Amino acid sequence: MPVRKFRSLQETEDALWRPPGDPKLWRAMASVWDFAARTCPRHFPPGVHKHRSIEDAQALRERWEAEDFRAFWERQRALGEGRSPRADSGKSA
Amino acid sequence: MNFDAVKRVLTAFEAEGVDYVVFGAAAINLLGLARATEDLDVFVGASPENIERLKTALRSVFDDPHIDEITAEDLLGDYPSVQYVPPEGSFYLDILARLGEVYRFDNIASQRVDFDGLKVNVATPAMLYEMKKGTVRPKDWADAEALRRRFGLGEP
Repeated sequence: MPVRKFRSLQETEDALWRPPGDPKLWRAMASVWDFAARTCPRHFPPGVHKHRSIEDAQALRERWEAEDFRAFWERQRALGEGRSPRADSGKSA
Repeated sequence: MNFDAVKRVLTAFEAEGVDYVVFGAAAINLLGLARATEDLDVFVGASPENIERLKTALRSVFDDPHIDEITAEDLLGDYPSVQYVPPEGSFYLDILARLGEVYRFDNIASQRVDFDGLKVNVATPAMLYEMKKGTVRPKDWADAEALRRRFGLGEP
């Protein structure tokens, strides 16, 4: 991959855009979405959720996000406790 | 979000003749900026016939009896915002008949965009910019700023 140089972070961000309809854009979308799904898997309660306003919908999204965040750290903690003898020693209060 | 699932949904919308416009982060992706998102936001035309076409399209993609719970009565009445989470649960559709008192399908400016060989309806950059700059979420402001720079919109 060639070296690309930027004068600012803004230039870096602007360079991420591709023309609509560019096959490289679709590959980038598939890749980014797949990466996000593998590194930060989400789970939403299947079904239909009805809202009187966009604020209500946003509130439910935030609850789902908080639940996923808590589940993520519980998995991390369980993983850490399984691997680290120190974590099993009960040193952390 | 799952690329193939989104393509199957939009292919079904096109096949069934659903009046829809993609907006939100999925639209930003389709307009050129690949970034992670968890939902497919769509405005849909507010007629009972269109909602039936929407449900037919969704049924052709997902084997899910919950789809029957999406009703024109709700979308056109007290529940203009419906989230549909398919059985697998890894992403969802935000289906809107209207957004506040300002936005509805009829006044969302859109354009046809090629999505992996499929032509789909996507809100224009100017429309997305207007919608995103007026919200309270910081990530929407970031999107609005990115759109402004990319498409030369609005004031700095």
